[in-house]
Amino acid sequence: MTDPIIKIENIKYRYKGSETDSLDDVSLAVNAGETLLLCGASGSGKTSVIRLINGLIPHYYNGEFTGNVTVAERNIAETELCDLAGTVGTVFQNPRSQFFSVDTDGEIVFGPENVGLPPSEIRKRKAQVVSEMGIEKLLDRSLFELSGGEKQRIACASVAALLPEIILLDEPSSNLDWAAMENLREIILTWKKQGKTVIVSEHRLWYLTGIIDRAVFMKKGRIEGAWSGEEFAKIPETELQEMALRPTSADCEYAKLFRDDGPDTDEGEKVSLGEDAIILRDFYFSYKKKPYVFRKHKFKKEDGEDLSLCIPKLTLPRGKVIAVVGRNGTGKSTFLRCLCGLEKDCTGTIESDGVTYKGRKRIGFSYMVMQDVNHQLFTDSVEAEVLLSMKVKDSQKCLEILRRLGLLGYKNTHPMALSGGQKQRVAIASAIAAGAELLLFDEPTSGLDYSHMVKVGKMLRELADGGSTVLVSTHDPELINLCCDTELVIRRGRASLRAFGDEKNGKE
Amino acid sequence: MRLDPRTKLFMVFVVSAIVMMSATTPLLWAVRIAVTMVPIILLITEKHYASAFRFLVLYGIALALLFGLLSEGSTGIVAALLLGYCCIIVQFLPAIITAWYVVRTTKIGEFVSAMQRMHVPDGITISLAVVMRFFPTIKEEYASIRDAMKMRGVMLGGGNAAKMIEFRMIPLLFSCVNIGDELSAAAITRGLGGKVKRTSATDLKMKAADWLMAVAFTAAAAVFVVFKYVL
Amino acid sequence: MKKEGLKAKDFITVGIFTALLLVVEFACGMLGFIHPYIVASYVVMIPLVGSIPMMLFYTKIEKFGMLTTMSVLIAIFMFITGMGYLGAPLIIAAGVLADLIAKSGKYKNFKKIALSHGVFCLWICANYFPVIVTADSYRKDLLDGGYSAEYCDNLFRAINGKTIAVLLILCFVFGIIGAFVGKAVVKKHFEKAGIV
Repeated sequence: MTDPIIKIENIKYRYKGSETDSLDDVSLAVNAGETLLLCGASGSGKTSVIRLINGLIPHYYNGEFTGNVTVAERNIAETELCDLAGTVGTVFQNPRSQFFSVDTDGEIVFGPENVGLPPSEIRKRKAQVVSEMGIEKLLDRSLFELSGGEKQRIACASVAALLPEIILLDEPSSNLDWAAMENLREIILTWKKQGKTVIVSEHRLWYLTGIIDRAVFMKKGRIEGAWSGEEFAKIPETELQEMALRPTSADCEYAKLFRDDGPDTDEGEKVSLGEDAIILRDFYFSYKKKPYVFRKHKFKKEDGEDLSLCIPKLTLPRGKVIAVVGRNGTGKSTFLRCLCGLEKDCTGTIESDGVTYKGRKRIGFSYMVMQDVNHQLFTDSVEAEVLLSMKVKDSQKCLEILRRLGLLGYKNTHPMALSGGQKQRVAIASAIAAGAELLLFDEPTSGLDYSHMVKVGKMLRELADGGSTVLVSTHDPELINLCCDTELVIRRGRASLRAFGDEKNGKE
Repeated sequence: MRLDPRTKLFMVFVVSAIVMMSATTPLLWAVRIAVTMVPIILLITEKHYASAFRFLVLYGIALALLFGLLSEGSTGIVAALLLGYCCIIVQFLPAIITAWYVVRTTKIGEFVSAMQRMHVPDGITISLAVVMRFFPTIKEEYASIRDAMKMRGVMLGGGNAAKMIEFRMIPLLFSCVNIGDELSAAAITRGLGGKVKRTSATDLKMKAADWLMAVAFTAAAAVFVVFKYVL
Repeated sequence: MKKEGLKAKDFITVGIFTALLLVVEFACGMLGFIHPYIVASYVVMIPLVGSIPMMLFYTKIEKFGMLTTMSVLIAIFMFITGMGYLGAPLIIAAGVLADLIAKSGKYKNFKKIALSHGVFCLWICANYFPVIVTADSYRKDLLDGGYSAEYCDNLFRAINGKTIAVLLILCFVFGIIGAFVGKAVVKKHFEKAGIV
């Protein structure tokens, strides 16, 4: 064997302004052609290791740095970032923020253009990566109209166009659905076959099983364990959970659910609902606007196939946690948006306790915690944020809500200074303050490690036990197992409630 | 018909000059109207029918009203206001139509490539590309923020104008700064900011149509200058 | 900090904030369609509203050239969007001067920053250049059409060659006021959140 292609020796690193070391005496050697998984809880230092290898530490992020990193015989500390571009490529977590161009073609050729390759060579490389990844259909499109999964494929293509020997992926699946994750697996396999060195930092592990050569476990800035790919796959789930890791295998049951389009199941309603229920009626919606002359066209059931959402009647059990599942693009987010009244053209009504909520009234009844919760925080303190939601400012009640959600200690903190989980709770606090009974969550656990997911699960459970009805759209079977009572399956805009609780209990 | 971005920029240059000069004789009016029709026709050839139609109608109405009002010599307040509007539209719409045509039919890559050919420094082209990329980003982020505001019922900031701006601006700035940081990191790892001169995969070539267009627009500008300032 | 020219990251930062400032301008520009007088009020609205992104931008400036680049970008955009290029010298001159003033305070001295923002805001007046240049011919057209001189003066009272000096001064003054507003907002949100 030749020398390892990546050598990290005794690295200690602390970000500027941070009080603890992000990396504490980390040493790691990676051989050329190896596929390595970096796992561990959030904040364990996975991302910092990725940044060491691509040189963002120490060249982009300021901090205290001791130790030595050698990548492809180059000392990183002494190498300019732009000189590494042809050697190390990185796919980042957020598909929304990592692209530079507006159109897909421009994005694929962005790297080669930067390093000043001649135009003919650039076009050759573009053709090559396009056929390797099978993304012909995505060419000549605006990146802004692509789904998260498609964006991530373009990001992979853009990185590959520089023909790097080493490819790093930093939590690449955080915003992807199952089909897109399987696609990502294929891409990593292609790279592996080409003999590239691939390092993946990841929370969701199932899609990597069988393709990794080695798994490295990190905790609090240190490397705490390493296994071969086969050994890692055999670690029992309980042991993984102790390490705050998600399972390495995917439940086939869910694989079907998340992937398959299957037949429409209109019958639904096998679940015993009790008398206390929330009834949704006439939720129809389509993004294809019908042309109208004098009066705006209201969507009706008769529009049939044109509808991206078609729910004549749906009964939701009150005080339960309901998982909303289905593939991306089948109407999950449309359903949530219509439910909380954001789509004006959707005329559905919500009946609860004998009261019917229509139109704008729905906004007060239901509240959505968005996937990017940063968009819904407006004020300069947690307390002000909650008070903003109250029609009648009641600081006593506000403190009560904050206490319930464990935010009392942060009442004067700026919401943006909080962690992701805390921000989510601030959003929930303001929803409760507004008197919302139906709480909607749009993929609250994508990109979270196991222990944070458990926390979110517990919180959803508590909200439901406190009388709220919780709808949570998710791609995480682990979360469903943790806290959901029933499942709402959405396929091609049609919804059906599954008798999920009984089935699960029966199995166990 | 696809024109070279450099031709398009030249068209903007000429039209922007012409809109500064008012037409006083029938010949000048004819040139002005012809110059306005070119981008409309080009929009049609690039299949932007709706916007071409809208511009045509707007321009036509404004032009008709302008001539109608001027010749009638009516002096009501409404007529004066209307005339003011029509003046502005007739005067500046040509520039706006041309700009619309250029922005709608040119890819960022083409712009950047054209800038490189014209020896604009890399720093400016990079910044310019980022500006172009951020317009849709801001639109997307702003749409989410509006949704969030609707859910919270704070669209009007409780009737407070400063709050209305604050609630929109603050989340938007936080988002943009975050995206910017991640974008910079991602761009730098793909070699942005190296010492080598950037290249472009987009091949630009001045074709016959480009030269024809350039000559026609130069002639139009010359007619204006000669007839207004020389004769 | 290494003493070098601007890096890729700086150009990206400039791009982002230029986009934000232009969005503010377009948003205010929409209001301009309602009545020409509102167009004159740009000199108040844009410095005040635009000061929020601008003051955040100032916290990110460390080297000479970022403000200058921003002014060049604004000039290019004014050109591409058909607003003409007569204002370009003004925009770029304001940008360079603002850059120099802020540099003299090492981009940290708030008094210098406020002054710099006041100067930078002068670019807004470039919006009026096409109107001023064409105003005379409008007037002539109107007079030919039988309108009284009074009407015409009324229509262009807010914006003409004489008032441009006033507008420039207003831009400067509100630019400085805006700097204080923007700084207060940056302190209230971004410093408190630990972003700056």
